[in-house]
Amino acid sequence: MTFSRLFKAVALMGAASGAALLTGCAANPMAEQGMKAGGHEYVLTVTRPNQLHIIDTETKDVVRSCDVPGTFGSGSIASSPDGRIAYVLTAGTEKVVGFDIRNCDIVFAANQSINGERVKTFVSLAVSNDGKELYTVQNPTRKLNDRYDVLQPRLAVYDTAAGLNAKPLRTYPVDRRITKIAVMGDGRIVLGGADLTAINPNTGEVKMLSKIQNWNRAGSWVPPDAFAMFNQGEHVGEYIMPYFTIKWNGAPGDMEKAEFWWGMNRIDLASGEVEETETVPFEFIVFNWITDPLNKDILYGAFNQLSKHDISKKETVAAVDLDHTFYSINMDSNRTIYIGGASSDISVHNPDTLEKIASIQLTGDMSSADLRVVKLH
Amino acid sequence: MNNNKSKRALLGGSALALLGAIAAPTTVSAMDGASVLQEKCLICHTRTGDPEAPYSRISQQRKTPEGWHMTINRMQRLNGLVISPQEKQAVIQYLADTQGLAPSETAPYRYVLEQQPNVVEQDIDPAYVEMCARCHSSARFGLQRRTEAEWKLHVNTHMAINPTTELHALARDRSWYDIALNDTAPKLAKDFNFHDAAWKKWQAAPKPELAGRWSVAGFLPEQGDYSATLTITPTSNNRFELTLDGHFVDGTALKGSGKAKLYAGYEWRAQLNVNGTKMRQVMAASEDGQQLTGRMYQVGRDEMGGEINAHVGTAIAGVSPAAIKQGAVQEITIMGSELKGNVSLGRGVSVEKVLTRDNDRIVVLARAQKNATVGARDVRVGQSRDQQALAVYDQVARVAVVPAESIARVGGNGGLVPKVQSTYRAQAFSAGPDGKAGTADDLNLGYMPANWSVAPFNETAEHDKDTKYAGSIDQQGIFTPGDAGLNPERKFSTNNLGNLKVVASMGEGDEQVSGDAHLLVTVPVYIKRAVQ
Repeated sequence: MTFSRLFKAVALMGAASGAALLTGCAANPMAEQGMKAGGHEYVLTVTRPNQLHIIDTETKDVVRSCDVPGTFGSGSIASSPDGRIAYVLTAGTEKVVGFDIRNCDIVFAANQSINGERVKTFVSLAVSNDGKELYTVQNPTRKLNDRYDVLQPRLAVYDTAAGLNAKPLRTYPVDRRITKIAVMGDGRIVLGGADLTAINPNTGEVKMLSKIQNWNRAGSWVPPDAFAMFNQGEHVGEYIMPYFTIKWNGAPGDMEKAEFWWGMNRIDLASGEVEETETVPFEFIVFNWITDPLNKDILYGAFNQLSKHDISKKETVAAVDLDHTFYSINMDSNRTIYIGGASSDISVHNPDTLEKIASIQLTGDMSSADLRVVKLH
Repeated sequence: MNNNKSKRALLGGSALALLGAIAAPTTVSAMDGASVLQEKCLICHTRTGDPEAPYSRISQQRKTPEGWHMTINRMQRLNGLVISPQEKQAVIQYLADTQGLAPSETAPYRYVLEQQPNVVEQDIDPAYVEMCARCHSSARFGLQRRTEAEWKLHVNTHMAINPTTELHALARDRSWYDIALNDTAPKLAKDFNFHDAAWKKWQAAPKPELAGRWSVAGFLPEQGDYSATLTITPTSNNRFELTLDGHFVDGTALKGSGKAKLYAGYEWRAQLNVNGTKMRQVMAASEDGQQLTGRMYQVGRDEMGGEINAHVGTAIAGVSPAAIKQGAVQEITIMGSELKGNVSLGRGVSVEKVLTRDNDRIVVLARAQKNATVGARDVRVGQSRDQQALAVYDQVARVAVVPAESIARVGGNGGLVPKVQSTYRAQAFSAGPDGKAGTADDLNLGYMPANWSVAPFNETAEHDKDTKYAGSIDQQGIFTPGDAGLNPERKFSTNNLGNLKVVASMGEGDEQVSGDAHLLVTVPVYIKRAVQ
């Protein structure tokens, strides 16, 4: 179905590969310009060919653009708790590079493809609550003289102070097909894949948080198709994994009587509380959701429309058409909505009216890149 | 697709059929390929010590010349293989000849080798559709034979080269890698068995001799039906020169010449210039050496092509149009080769006048009696006879647009990928004895000219004005899609995509009959493979 095909299209991105070179920061006239600290918010995203952009939420101006070494990865971004360091997945998702967003200095680099392995990371990037460790989920293969070995995926833990040739401090085996990860208040890491699990980065112990593909519902519910390619939720400290499911009211396969539902697994990262719920009936495609900080029942979604949903009533409250297709959505602490990904412009919207209030033009396409909001301290 | 009755051909005299005498291939180029393989491939691949399967990975697979070509391309692209075009050709020839596929093994999947557009693969095992054929055709694996261990290693190649495979829809909802390794690979090894007896049998069989003159009939979208004489001259082992000399149905001369290669004793691959246009032929020789069948298409515009059939000896290759209305007087073209003798169009249809006459083409003015019996009759030229080649009909009662499902792709507009057109033919039927159209006894009248148009496929397409943006069709039934790229005039600035009906209409007023086919105008293909 269309829904699946579109998700697939996104999954296909970020498969490019290439050698990575540290090229230093971009010559940018804005490089000397000061930035506000004290929790001032900046939007971060990556565009092709491979630049990290830092955008002031107040002025909606691009403050600085940093050249990211290597070919475009997936454009995934994780930030240090003080907002200063942005870790970007690059080089065909084989490498992580950390930038000081105040000056584009590269302060961290980890080439994951070492020891004869080729290591890919599917958007799985997160930083510990104290900023001292960086986590990735690695999907390694090894090329032998005439064949490939497929190796066990693993959580890799890096020391963020390890410099430009960082190697994992330790690794722990994890399931295949893990995409979005996030760090919980207790330091465990949410692993979003077939199911939602949490791994202890000190022991490797994995516990089930929420079964998705292995859920235990009655037979009339189809196991959901859950997938997340974009990181967001930092404005309210949560992790959201959207899913799609079908409820057969007649015989399985009877589309006339079936109900088609969006759902989500939502985790409050501070408390570890997990929700698994259908949100709204499937009416149109939503790539990502964010929660309104004023009311947890209000979600905003984006793809071809910016939409607002009240999940307590399981209804779509409002939807406006966007100028084109977008993939990612995020929100700053003024509740201003930023919609990015896909093309080269960020669409900025009022959360109450959904009205478009600004547009931020970038130098290239964001395609699968994250749109993160950081508070600079 | 091949239900055009005018394309039936008839074999001529038995003496000429002897041209299809059989000869076994020699092994000179095969030896060259073997030594290049050892020199180039064994830098990485290893000797197994097993004389039956001497090289790791290589000796456990069989595939088409295109399949081996893709493999060597991948070795160049990803694994640093340095090989000259001549060496590459020698290895492809050697592997396709010694580890190829038998005619019976390629028969179900000719469409993909022929680059046929608009093929909807039918009846594929759902296990394969979900695991494999959702990304590439089922022909892609159907045209390979591997041992189970080799199919498993092939799964690993997928994981290494396309690591996001397991994240796609229909993969991320299951343990894709485990299923591929433990369920799909063993199933492939059984269904597409490396040790299938068909190949050993074909290797031992005498191979068709292709040198000589062949009677050819075919179709090209922009020019229509044609007939010609194909002359094949061997130049060296498995290498040929060819000429094509004939006429299109409208009388335009068809002149072509080029070169061809033969793989596995029956896989004909020619590159030729036809009336100034570069074209390819992908044909298979029948095991008895009496026929070559396949497709001829423009280089770089695969969709602009059509079926081509070559037969040994004289024959009527086709009759166009293949039907005449009761009481009508019309021109009828008989195509073939060595067409000598009187023309007979069957009972109730008289030849008023022979308008033009060549060896490969006769145009006559034909008259059908008002009371001529509705139905098909044989067409004869001298001793040649084409059975049921011309139909007399009362009226066209149904029109079918072929192909029924189709795709065109936006392109151009400054981008690197050109537009991909789609082409259609209108097949006419009369109602048959029961007087009802759409029933089993409808009389096939063959392809006929029609008035072509496009219409929205559904309400959404109508609302989005797909007919305005997605492209247009000309009166030859050739659809040209719109430009690639965002279109700010459209909702969401969407591309010039569309969901259309292609409509063919025949007749006027009360007698107008139309039929339609489904056309999706979609995005470009950025990576095109020899076996999609």
